[in-house]
Amino acid sequence: MIHHFIRAALLAGFAFMIVYLFNSGQAVLYIAPRMELLVKLSALGLYAAAVYQIFAALRSKSKAGSSDHGTDCDCGHHHSKSPFKGTVMYGLFLLPLLTILLVPTSTLGSAMAEKKGISFTGSESVNRDAGAAERSNSDGAPDVIEQELDALFPYDEYTVDHAKLGKKLYGEELIIVPEKQFIETLTTLDLYRDALAGKEVEISGFVYREEEMGEDRIAVSRFAMNCCSADALPYGLVITWPKAEQYNEDEWIKVKGELTVIEYDGNSIISLQASKIERIAAPSTPYVYPDFEFGT
Amino acid sequence: MRQTIFRYATPLLGLGCAIMLALILWNRELPGAISALLQSVHMQSFNLLFIGILLEAFPFILLGVLFSALLQVFVSDETIRKFTPRNKVAGILFGGLLGVVFPLCECGMIPVIRRLIRKGMPAYIGITYLLAGPIINPIVFSSTYLAFRASPEMVYGRMALALAVAMTIGLLFAKFAKNSPLRAASALHDHSDHHAPVSRVGRIKNKWSSTLAHASDELFDMGKYLIFGALLTAVIQTSLDRESIASVADQPLIGYMFMMAFAFLLSICSTSDAFIAVSFNGLFPPGALLAFLVFGPMVDLKNTLMMLSTFKLKVVLLLIALAFALTLGGSMLAEVLI
Repeated sequence: MIHHFIRAALLAGFAFMIVYLFNSGQAVLYIAPRMELLVKLSALGLYAAAVYQIFAALRSKSKAGSSDHGTDCDCGHHHSKSPFKGTVMYGLFLLPLLTILLVPTSTLGSAMAEKKGISFTGSESVNRDAGAAERSNSDGAPDVIEQELDALFPYDEYTVDHAKLGKKLYGEELIIVPEKQFIETLTTLDLYRDALAGKEVEISGFVYREEEMGEDRIAVSRFAMNCCSADALPYGLVITWPKAEQYNEDEWIKVKGELTVIEYDGNSIISLQASKIERIAAPSTPYVYPDFEFGT
Repeated sequence: MRQTIFRYATPLLGLGCAIMLALILWNRELPGAISALLQSVHMQSFNLLFIGILLEAFPFILLGVLFSALLQVFVSDETIRKFTPRNKVAGILFGGLLGVVFPLCECGMIPVIRRLIRKGMPAYIGITYLLAGPIINPIVFSSTYLAFRASPEMVYGRMALALAVAMTIGLLFAKFAKNSPLRAASALHDHSDHHAPVSRVGRIKNKWSSTLAHASDELFDMGKYLIFGALLTAVIQTSLDRESIASVADQPLIGYMFMMAFAFLLSICSTSDAFIAVSFNGLFPPGALLAFLVFGPMVDLKNTLMMLSTFKLKVVLLLIALAFALTLGGSMLAEVLI
C-alpha cells in the first residue's frame, strides 16, 4: 500500500512540476513551443495515474493487503524485491523534481555554445556552391530589374526561398534579423553575402566569445531549438567593435552595423562592422526556432 | 516486504521533506560547497538538458505505456497471432514497415514490443519493429526532409538503410535465435482469465482498472530507465566538447565510427536528430551522417537502458553489435553510391 502512496506522490509531483513550469513561464527554457501541447497533455496523464494510484492504495487497504496486482502477480513487471532497490528507484524519480527546485533556472548560453560548437554561417542544410551552377530562369523574368536581381541572387531548387528572402532584404534600408526567421535570415545573409555586403543589419542575442576573437570581436548568438534543450544548437554572427571586450559573456545586446566578409579562423565568414551596440534585457523566449513555414 | 520498504522509504521521504522545509525557511541558503555546485554553470546546463529530455519523452512514454496496456487487456493473443504473417520474410517486412502505421518513437516502443512478444508475436518481428520503427515512420521522414532540404538523397538513404539493417537483423534472429530474447518471468499472463466476470458492466470496469494498473506499473518500470538514461545523456552532453570531435572528422573509418558513437551518447529523439546531423554537414562525409541518422535511433544510451529492462543482456549486446556493424558497412556503401 505504501508503494501506491509513494507512486501517487511521485506522479502527482511530476504533473505539478509540469504545471509549475508552464505557469512560471519556464517551460520555454526546456522545450519548443510545438511540443507544448503534448507535454501539457502528459501532465494530465500523469495526474490521472496519480489519482489511480491513490484509488489502488485505498482499495488494497480495504482488501487487507491483497491487491489484484500485487507482488504475487507474474506478468513480468519487476516488483522490486529489496527495500534498497525500491529506495534507489524512488530516489531516481525524485531527482528531477529536486533539480528543478534546487538548481537556479538559467538559459542555454556561452558555456553550452562552446561545448556544442557554434555556427557563424547560418544553417548547413543548404548547398552553398549550388547557387550559381544551375540557375533556373525558365520562368523568364519580364523586366530588367528582375533580371538584375536574379543575377544577384542565383538559386537552385533548394535555395529558391532563400533567394526570395534575399531579394526582399535587398530592397530594405535596414535588415533586421528577426526572431521568427533567425536562422533562415542568417543563412540568406551568408548565401548572398556578395549582393548584401554593405547593407545595414541589426541583430540581437547573447554575447559569445572565443579565444581567437581577440579584443575587438564578439559573436551575437542565439540557440535554435527543435524539440527540446538537448537538440538546441547555437548560431551566431561575429561583430567587430573596438571596445568589444567591455561586454561580458551571456550579456544580451542589440547590434547595428554594416555587413562585411572577414577572415576568421581560416574561413571567410560574414560579420558586422558595428556602428551601434546597446545592452538589452534578456527576452522572455531566449531561443529561436526553425520556421517550418519558411518558403511554403 | 512492504514493512521493510516502509522502514526505508518513509525516513528517506521524511528527510527530503525536511530538507525542503529547511530550504524554504532559510530562503535557499545552502552550505557553501553545495550551493556553489548548484550555482555552477555546468550544473545549470545539466539541469536544462536533463529536464528537457524528460519533458520531451514524457508524452511518448505515456502513450507507449497506455497503448501497451490497452493491447494487454483488450487484444487477445489469438488476434495478434492472426494478424502477424506466418511467413518469416513477410513477417520481417511487416515488422519493418509497422512504424508507418504506428509511428511511436523509441521511448514509447519498448513497452509495446515487450507486450506484443509476450502475447505471441514472433520475437524477430518485434526486434525488426524495434529497430526500424523509430526511423521508418512519417514523422521522422518529414523532419529529415526538412533538415536535409538540399540533399533529399539523405532522406531516402536513411529510410532504405534503416529498413535494410533492421530486416537483416530480423532475418538473423529468425534463423538463429531459438530462445526467447525477453528477460525471465515471461510467462504469459492474461488478466481476462482470472477476473471472474460477475456482470458485463463489472467486467468492463475491471478491464479499465486493469488497463490503468498495467499502465502505471509499466510507467515506473520504464520510467526509471528513462530517468537514468536522461541523466547520463545530460552529463555527457554538458561535458563533451564538440571541438575535440571535429579533429577526427577527416579520417575515413574513424569518422564513421565516431558519428555513430556520438549518436549513441547523444540519445536524441529520432524526430529531431536530423537537425543535429545537418549541423555536421561539410565537416563529415554524407555517409558518416547517414550512419549517425540510422544508428542513433536504433540504439542509443537512453534506449539501451530501456531495452535492458526487457531483453536479456546477451540479446541487447548482440543487437548493438549487429546494428553497429551493418550500419557501418551500409553507410560506407551508400557513400559510394550517393
